[in-house]
Amino acid sequence: MRNVSASYDSKNLILKNVSMNVKRGTNYAIVGASGSGKSTLLKLMNGMMIPSSGVVLYNYQKPDLKNKEYKKSIAKIGYIPQTLGLVKNTSVLENVLIGALPRLSNFKSFFKMFPKEEIEKAHEVLDLVGLDTKSNRKVHMLSGGEKRRVAIARALMQKPDVLLADEIVSELDSVTAREVMDVIKDAQKKFKLTAIMIHHDMTLALEYANRVAVIQEGDKILEIGVDGDQIIDFQTGNLTQEEILEMYNEPEK
Amino acid sequence: MNQKNNLVIGAIIAIVVVMSYDVGVDPIAFVEGLPNLGIVLKEMTEFESEHWGTAFWAMLETIEMAFIGTILGVVISLPISIFAARNISNKYVYGPLRALLAATRTFPSILWAILFVIVVGLGPFAGILAITLYTIGFISKLQYESIEAIDYDPVEATTAIGLSKIQLIRYVIIPESAPHLLSQILYMFDYNVRQTSILGIVGAGGIGFYIINYIKFFEYGKAAVFMLVVLVTVLAIDWASVKIRDRYIMKAQHGQQVKPMKN
Ligand SMILES: Nc1ncnc2c1ncn2[C@@H]1O[C@H](COP(=O)(O)OP(=O)(O)OP(=O)(O)O)[C@@H](O)[C@H]1O
Ligand SMILES: [Mg+2]
Repeated sequence: MRNVSASYDSKNLILKNVSMNVKRGTNYAIVGASGSGKSTLLKLMNGMMIPSSGVVLYNYQKPDLKNKEYKKSIAKIGYIPQTLGLVKNTSVLENVLIGALPRLSNFKSFFKMFPKEEIEKAHEVLDLVGLDTKSNRKVHMLSGGEKRRVAIARALMQKPDVLLADEIVSELDSVTAREVMDVIKDAQKKFKLTAIMIHHDMTLALEYANRVAVIQEGDKILEIGVDGDQIIDFQTGNLTQEEILEMYNEPEK
Repeated sequence: MNQKNNLVIGAIIAIVVVMSYDVGVDPIAFVEGLPNLGIVLKEMTEFESEHWGTAFWAMLETIEMAFIGTILGVVISLPISIFAARNISNKYVYGPLRALLAATRTFPSILWAILFVIVVGLGPFAGILAITLYTIGFISKLQYESIEAIDYDPVEATTAIGLSKIQLIRYVIIPESAPHLLSQILYMFDYNVRQTSILGIVGAGGIGFYIINYIKFFEYGKAAVFMLVVLVTVLAIDWASVKIRDRYIMKAQHGQQVKPMKN
């Protein structure tokens, strides 16, 4: 994306001239304080929001839900919003199958006539996130970590090229958070995904990503490339590396 | 503060008095008439027991009518409520539809029953149509309101996945708004049994036909048998719907059965 600005009310700019380039296969992390505009950034990437200026391009296409062509490719952008957006009164399996619906005709989906291979695929992704034994459970009866796994499974069910995940582990304790991150890491390897993930916590971002962008009050203040424990690339805005690491290294709870 | 409250209460009392005078409320007539009530009540206790059988069958017919009307009404309401919900439908559709639904709710079902007696003739069928229409008006409203109140997060999330409108309705809107449906249906059935009990007054079938006729001919003992059957039935249905609600709805909403706390 190039020089993107965005706002909800045409008065306050939430994002100011943000540019970002995510290469295929990257494991990209976005870090920033609460309210800095991270979720907004993600919504711009899949077309849930339209930038007020600048351009977003996904596979040389502008994400725009009104565009019929784009609607086909959005089915392959796995999106896990901050609130997860699960349907609480239906089963885990049915929530996961929602990810397959864009591949199904209206008629077949109305009567829940899923082809056998889709059901098998659903069990496969549920198995991957470690929830296959609970596939008949209602979603509202799951724990917070389990709900996140369902949302991951639903996104994987989309057979995505890209996975957008908004603070998927922020509310979890650090052990569960790492478990969930490992699930995503495995899935990424298995399906060769590009991942763009928002984190609240710099430590996790550095641990799992190979590029980390830091957003502060709607500005991208720096972007770093990571390889193992090694920082290999460093593009700053106006803060030093130490200052930034200090800001986002929250004490372990 | 307090003075203002007193003023409001005083004004309300004054309005009630003036209005009562206007419509001819007559406390003296009430007191003078009390002995009549006594006579009626006394005669009512003289049940004529050979009528229990008739009363039972008439009540059964009433329940059947209410049941058919409720189910038909609910089935028709489901698609209507989707078209009437502001967050899914288009304003040229939901506008007129909501006005129409409001119109069906304006008149009590007994007025609709009179209309349907004219259309399809005397008998239970007219009553069923009246109950169905009234149920459509009510359940559609309750349902479109619960559709409008559903959580927006899953709608947003699934839109981003690229679901079509039909898929959205089938997999998100209906399951998210359904938990209230069962309790609404129970309430409606309960209400419809009471309504159907009086539809007989206008010849639209059900037990009300007997009650009104025996009262007309001062046969309170006979009327009482039928009224008692209505009373017992309504209480039983009321009790049963509380049981069903506790068992299924609470369970569905909280994931467990509600048990009274012990301490
Ligand atoms: N729907 C909305 N309407 C208006 N303002 C919004 C809306 N959503 C977010 N904002 C505002 O935009 C700013 C950035 O929000 P955003 O959700 O992108 O932050 P965030 O970085 O994701 O924060 P958090 O870490 O708390 O999730 C905030 O000031 C917020 O108040
Ligand atoms: Mg956010």
